[in-house]
Amino acid sequence: MSSLAGETKANLRAWWRPDVHNERRSVTLCALAAVLGLVIAGIGLFNARGTRVAGVPPEDAAVVNRSPILLSDYVVQLQALYNVSPSQATTDQKRATLNSMIREELYVQRGIELGLQNDFIEIRSALVNAVEAQQEIDANATVPTEQELRDFYQKHLQNFQPEGLMTVTDFVAPDLGSAQRAVIAVRSGQDLESAMAAGGLRTSGATDDGEEFYFAAEQHLGSTLFSIAKGLQDGQVSDPVADGGRVHVLAMRNNRRPVPEDYSEARDQVLAGYRTDEIARMRAGTDRFLRERADVQIAKGLQ
Amino acid sequence: MRSMYTRYILLLSAVVIVLIMVVATTVIHRRERTEFLQADADRILDDHRLAPKALARGRRIFLANCASCHGADGRGSTATGTPDLTDQVFLYGTGRVSEIESIVLHGIRSGDDKGWDLAWMPAYGKPVPYARGKLPSLSPGEIEQLTSYLRALNGAVGEDPAAVSAGRILFQEHGGCWDCHGRDAQGDTAIGAPNLSDGSWLRGDGSRRDISRIIREGLHGVSPAFRGRLDPVNARAVAVYVASLHARKESK
Repeated sequence: MSSLAGETKANLRAWWRPDVHNERRSVTLCALAAVLGLVIAGIGLFNARGTRVAGVPPEDAAVVNRSPILLSDYVVQLQALYNVSPSQATTDQKRATLNSMIREELYVQRGIELGLQNDFIEIRSALVNAVEAQQEIDANATVPTEQELRDFYQKHLQNFQPEGLMTVTDFVAPDLGSAQRAVIAVRSGQDLESAMAAGGLRTSGATDDGEEFYFAAEQHLGSTLFSIAKGLQDGQVSDPVADGGRVHVLAMRNNRRPVPEDYSEARDQVLAGYRTDEIARMRAGTDRFLRERADVQIAKGLQ
Repeated sequence: MRSMYTRYILLLSAVVIVLIMVVATTVIHRRERTEFLQADADRILDDHRLAPKALARGRRIFLANCASCHGADGRGSTATGTPDLTDQVFLYGTGRVSEIESIVLHGIRSGDDKGWDLAWMPAYGKPVPYARGKLPSLSPGEIEQLTSYLRALNGAVGEDPAAVSAGRILFQEHGGCWDCHGRDAQGDTAIGAPNLSDGSWLRGDGSRRDISRIIREGLHGVSPAFRGRLDPVNARAVAVYVASLHARKESK
């Protein structure tokens, strides 16, 4: 018995002797290494994020045909449906919430299988919006440097000026002659109201509400009169203007032309403008890319 | 010969030990991750095991991703209209970790469909104040009246009573302000409409100039969606950290 044990021990020692060539040992060790490698690769593969085959990853509430239902979405849904957090929710509430989300996911997957995006306008619009939204998300996540923002501000100064303001009175004259006389009287120093009254000019009522933004004044006066009003200085009266079958005289009381805000004041708008610009750039890039890689064939007569 | 065997055994043992350590670390890491993500987010701050790690990790994530706008101390900036994350004034929600986590992942006006994007502060001094719906512009005089009303509401003295009264009527009726901010001007955290009566200002300091500018030019800040850039653990950790900033102030 002891001699058998001794023999086995000796064989084992001989098997391990590195100075003796042993083909079986080489093959066995190779096989062991291969098995070990496969095990490690397998663990890596089945635990890799995104593979979603070995159980439910911790960030998900469920996995439906390899599509995850995110735990964060589940929590939001629980809150929306029952106004409870996961620890406050009853088992029934949790089950009902998850079931409705699983059902939704299954229906979405079924919809894709059936190619419903080809049939339903709402789905097509939603998909287009979703792709555009993705560009918006990316653009909104960009954090430009202060210098980039300042450069953008300098380049688009006109976008960062508040509306101009004016207080203007639009007088209507009975005829061109009385309008001209009234204008001469005002320009030679006569009081505006008395000069207008003497010439029979009356306010049209278009801008009698006091100070107005430029856009409102343009709406009230019309583009011809507004373009003249914009150029008037405080206290100045315009030449008589024929517009819409009537003769007008504009008297400017206060004209505050738009001036760009300081960078520091407008910074939040500069950032918003920068990102809007970025979104437009990304959309143009995506359009180009999609067109380039697509095989678009257009029917004869429609090119 | 013996030393050769010993070397083999030692080498093999080392490999096995390293493998065991790798597997053990992976298992522990995965268990921690699962525990953290499956815990009720709103209770993590009270969990003495999960909170310290989450706060340490959250602070790192905050400094790398959020501090550029909210500042390293999270106090934001009234100059740019970036919310103070350390006060008890909540623009959206009530400051719960789960709500903050949702903002971290999906953002505010970020373009993400799951983010908060129900309303914008219109620019009443523009020809089209609100892109999503029909709202009338206001005249400079009306903007001044609203400004007087809001300043009086926040305790400013010396406002013209007639302007305050006209401003209140505008606010509560055809100005449309009540639609988001409520007739009492106390706001609505469900849509991110700030309370306009608590003396706390998102942009500026409540001066006549600042208030009238907001009414004239509008306000609609953006918080980016980080769902594609932050791992779920990091998103939750930073949410826990931000919630702790609010909580810290509360406990003082």
